[in-house]
This record gives sequence, C-alpha cells and structure tokens, in this order.
Amino acid sequence: MDPLNEKPQENINEDQQLAGEDMDMENIIHNEIPGVITTTSQGITEFLKTTKIQDLINWGRKNSLWFMAQAMGCCGVEIIVTGMSPMDTDRFGIIPRNSPRHADVMIISGYVTKKYLPALKRLWDQMPAPKWIICMGDCSISGGPFYESYSTVQNIDKIFPVDVYIPGCPPRPEALIQGFLELQKKIAAKKDKGTAYMR
Amino acid sequence: MDAEQIIKSLTTKFPDVISDAKVDSDIRISAYSEAEKIVEVCKYLKEELQFGHLSAVTAIDQIQKNEIDVVYLIASYDHPVVLKLKARLPRDNPEIESIVPVYWNANWYERETYELFGVQFKNHPDLRNLVLPDELLGDWPLRKDYKGFPNRTAKNLV
Ligand code: SF4
Repeated sequence: MDPLNEKPQENINEDQQLAGEDMDMENIIHNEIPGVITTTSQGITEFLKTTKIQDLINWGRKNSLWFMAQAMGCCGVEIIVTGMSPMDTDRFGIIPRNSPRHADVMIISGYVTKKYLPALKRLWDQMPAPKWIICMGDCSISGGPFYESYSTVQNIDKIFPVDVYIPGCPPRPEALIQGFLELQKKIAAKKDKGTAYMR
Repeated sequence: MDAEQIIKSLTTKFPDVISDAKVDSDIRISAYSEAEKIVEVCKYLKEELQFGHLSAVTAIDQIQKNEIDVVYLIASYDHPVVLKLKARLPRDNPEIESIVPVYWNANWYERETYELFGVQFKNHPDLRNLVLPDELLGDWPLRKDYKGFPNRTAKNLV
C-alpha cells in the first residue's frame, strides 16, 4: 500500500472516535449559549413572512420586476417593443434583461413546442428566486391557432406556476404593461405564486 | 424553350419513365416519373435543360390509393417554367433514391420529408430528423392516419 492511501483511513478513524465520544457536545453547544439562536437563512425568510416586514420586502420586489427578453413566438416582437424607449417601462421598474440570472419575470410569449419545453424549464431553473411567470398571448394560455397541433405542449399552467394571463394574439405592449401592473398588485396583496406564503 | 418543348424533350429522352406529362399553364408543367429513375431524370433536367434551381421537396399522402407521392419543384433560370415532378411510392415502404448528388440543397428538404412522412431516401449523406424532436420520430406526423392529431388536451379553451 502506498502512503497516500493510508492517511485518509487514519483520519476517518479519528473522526469516528470523536463522533462516538462527544455525541452530547453538539446539543450542549446549541442549547446552552445564552442569547444565541441558531437558525438558517431559510428560517429567517419563513419568519419574516409572518411579519409586517414582508410588506416592505414585497414593495421593493414589485417595483423592480426585471423580465427576461426571451422571444418565443410572434408575441416576442411585442416584448421587444415593450422594452424600447417609447413605452418607458422604467417608470414601473420593468427592465428587460438578457440573462435569466438577472431576471425576476419570465414571459412565456408564444407556443411552447415539445422540443423547446426542456430549454424553457432550464431557463426557469436558472432564474434566482423570487421569480414570477406571465403567460402572454393565446398560444401560451390555450394553444392559440396551434391548439390542435402535434408538436405543441398544452396546459402550460400545469407545468409552471403562472401568475398573470394576458389574452390577445398578440397582446399590445400596453396590455403587457397592464399585465405587469396586475402582477404588482398581486405581489402587494401577497397573492402571487412566486413566494410561498404561510396561510 | 417554352413549356411544350420541355415536355417533348423529357418524354422523348425517357419514354418509359415519364408519364402524365402535361402543361398546367404558361409557366407550370407537371409530370410523373418512375421512382427508380429519379436521379437520371434530375440529372438530365439539370445538365441538358438548364433546370438548375430545386425550390422544394415535399410529399403528399394519398391514403385512398395507398401511395405516397414525393414532389420535386424544380425551376429554371433560363426558361420561364416551374416543373412539378412527382414520383409514386408504396405507402407501406416508401423508398426512393436521394437526389443530393444532383441538387445539393435537397439535403434538408429530404430530411424534412423523411421526418414528416417517413419516406426513406437511399444514399442520403445524413438522413436524420431536421426539426422534429427525437421522441416524435417514427410517428410521421403529416401522414393522414397520424393518431396524435387533432390534439384535444387543451383545458383553457373557451
Ligand atoms: S398568441 Fe398569436 S401572436 Fe402570440 S405567439 Fe401565438 S400566434 Fe403568435
């Protein structure tokens, strides 16, 4: 046996001995330091959801809804228009971002084909929480003109937690902005699906 | 050459291969070809008759006749004519020689015809699905007896 393999084995033995002897040590440390509560960031978030501070957090979240410039169907053209200067969505804090890692809102803008669904799921997983989904256009709501097609995925709301539906084929940029405003109202009322509130 | 002369030239060169050749209008002619001889016909069209532009390859599912027609739309820069060349194939085992050696741009057209109709193009350089996802390959969605159409699972319909 070479010496490289022997060292880790010794370490493992030592660790096992320590764990065996001092099993009570962990409990003692956690329980007996006065004034210290050990918790996780998850625990803090869950605690804050029950307090008024969540209103302040939601106020900040709803006023910085950055959406992902991800054009899927013909509705994507309207997304691009919405992001341009004449619409001036910055006044609501709505800014287009090119990377899913910067974005808060994913707009499903058009037909989801069976081939595109895995990529869409991957984009959704890449977005940091809190995140929301807006269904834009008849295609993503019910299939639109392609509702009987062999290659489109139906019932997107079973796959993603959709907060707002915007009907139209395609919806005008004003309708998209209204959809964002509805999402803001939902967040302010703590009714959105992006955050799991305790009820 | 006008449409009549082109048909004449084709039928005299391939009397047993070309059938149903007719003039549809001033700028359109159509003809049926034997499936085995499609490469020779295309070679003759391209090299002798200046039909240098293959604009599409597609297929028609003739389910009543139990046939699949492969359709080649071939146009010319020298004559004001578009030729619609068809080849009849049996529906259970549609197989035809690939025309990629003659018209190189037939490559993707034939891949699309393969994934949607299941027509096997022999000696194609790379016969696999073009845009269809892998799990749909083998269903041949544009055939008339495709089971997945119409897809009536949408819940949100009014
Ligand atoms: S809803 Fe209409 S405009 Fe939007 S992607 Fe579908 S077909 Fe295109």
